[in-house]
Amino acid sequence: MPDLLEVKNLYTSFHTEDGVVPAVNGITFNLKHGESLGIVGESGCGKSVACLSIMRLIDHPGKIKADAIKLDGVELQSLSEKKMRTIRGNEMAFIFQEPMTSLNPVYTIGFQLQEAIQLHQGLNKKQSRTKSEEMLKMVGIPRAEKVFDEYPPSLSGGMRQRAMIAMALSCEPKILFADEPTTALDVTIQAQILELMNDLKQRINTSIIFISHDLGVISEMVDRVIVMYCGSIIEDADIRTIIKNPKHPYTFGLINSKPRIDVDLDKLIPIPGSVPNPLNIPSGCPYQPRCESAMDICKSKIPGKSQINEGHHVSCWLFSKQGGKIKS
Amino acid sequence: MTEPIVKLENVKKYFPIRGGVFSRVVGNIKAVDDISFSIQKGETLGLVGESGCGKSTLGRTILKLLDPTAGKVFYKDFDIFATQKEELRNLRREMQIIFQDPYSSLNPRLNVGEIVGECLEIHGIAYGREKQEKVESMLEVCGLAPHHRRRYPHEFSGGQRQRIGIARALTLNPDFIVADEPISSLDVSIQAQIVNLMEELQEKFGLTYLFISHDLSMVRHISDHVAVMYLGKIVEISGKKELYQNPLHPYTQALLSAVPVMDPDHKSKRIILRGDVPSPANPPQGCNFNPRCIYAEEHCRNEEPELRDVGSGHQVSCHLVEKM
Repeated sequence: MPDLLEVKNLYTSFHTEDGVVPAVNGITFNLKHGESLGIVGESGCGKSVACLSIMRLIDHPGKIKADAIKLDGVELQSLSEKKMRTIRGNEMAFIFQEPMTSLNPVYTIGFQLQEAIQLHQGLNKKQSRTKSEEMLKMVGIPRAEKVFDEYPPSLSGGMRQRAMIAMALSCEPKILFADEPTTALDVTIQAQILELMNDLKQRINTSIIFISHDLGVISEMVDRVIVMYCGSIIEDADIRTIIKNPKHPYTFGLINSKPRIDVDLDKLIPIPGSVPNPLNIPSGCPYQPRCESAMDICKSKIPGKSQINEGHHVSCWLFSKQGGKIKS
Repeated sequence: MTEPIVKLENVKKYFPIRGGVFSRVVGNIKAVDDISFSIQKGETLGLVGESGCGKSTLGRTILKLLDPTAGKVFYKDFDIFATQKEELRNLRREMQIIFQDPYSSLNPRLNVGEIVGECLEIHGIAYGREKQEKVESMLEVCGLAPHHRRRYPHEFSGGQRQRIGIARALTLNPDFIVADEPISSLDVSIQAQIVNLMEELQEKFGLTYLFISHDLSMVRHISDHVAVMYLGKIVEISGKKELYQNPLHPYTQALLSAVPVMDPDHKSKRIILRGDVPSPANPPQGCNFNPRCIYAEEHCRNEEPELRDVGSGHQVSCHLVEKM
């Protein structure tokens, strides 16, 4: 069986007046059926843009280029815009970060839920209302029949995010993109939403791509992780390996700079410097100016992908067979 | 035992809700409702709670940036709420604040030298060359370069801006600093830089911090004592170690268990709280937390618990502490 999603050499760039911003810089990854994949990285690393590109939701002045974006073996780039619309919301759905801004405040929750259901599943008004109310109940919204007729501002942040999840899952998509779904929420509400998503994941067979900057949240949600920096994938492995045995200095830095709730640390080890300006990405490895193990070759050449183990890849000269020494 | 540098006694801050034809006061948002605690010199008190619990309002009320509704705050021997104008301005030299958002808290029309040095002129401490030298050395202390003095805030990244905010707070050589979510708008890799800087400065200048945050892991890292706030009230306050290892209030327990742990082997016994935080305009009867509490009993719904000492300075406001 082919992989559910296959992305090969995806480039997304924004052609602005100040120059070209390479937001996503040639990323390749696969997503298996029923798998949940995490994408970690700091703001501006291209994690959201990569997912929006897959759904072709990038607007002018953005340009998407890829060798392949295949959903269940079907090349999405060759589809017309009209065909693409039948896939969005139906086979691939998106949960956005800000439940406050991603729902339209002038339509009722019910209207916005029904819209997708009627469009993609051809149900009539009455049937879609029943289905919508079922969905609201499934995501744990109390008094679903009432909430159906309410407007988004009358719901709390957590409830709105539940409504977003109901909307995204209403057509039983094959892939669910969750873009920092809990970042705007308080920690106790975050726990509710993560619990709900974990529960739903087991009940319906949807593959999830979970975007977050928080490795703690990621480690509760996914099987496999991709770490992104400056538009490139710098390391990918299963979640255990990433947390217990990271190889790339950036992944290391991300883990070490975070305080732990369960352990006392003497001192945090921050990553020096800051993320480079996307208009002016350093030559060679993009992480090289902040990297403590940087060598001469890092400044001139971009490292290729090296395999550490089955399913664990890293893009770093320290682990490359050509040039550089192997160090653990 | 060291002297408390800041002491709060029954501090209240209500925001009136006005309504009707004559804009009469029809109710109160009890943002800060009867809070008492003290902060020892040279320590960091972490103040945690979810959004809307009143933690920022409390921070600002302590500095009298907001006018209090009732209560007293003592800084050293001064009753802050009773001081006026000139005296208050002199006191402010010793108490400063670092704001959450380094993007909106720096005036974009002033260069860094003006932002950091403004207070030196206002307080008549240094002018001209002397001011410039003080600013430059302060920028260096905060990990920036002296020549950054001529630049404007938009030329800096978020982490650097927060360093400017810290430099501004420190130029007057204060003793007490309220840090209002100083790291929550920064990227993960930058947060550690700023927290380390704050720790270094604390050691160097003997600062006392009130560190307001919703990031429980960071509060565990930086604080000596931790206070947990819920709906305008302190529900638990204790030494850090005690609070994180032996949380007694059901809200603290739920809050701590809700934090995701960066460990795939971690088996969480997560307490999922039902529902949302109630509106502070209409707080529940009895214990504030009772509608979401899994242990709530009859008298929790009628009677408001008081903050009680349960031994070695660990204070909890819960009727059921003994049963926990």
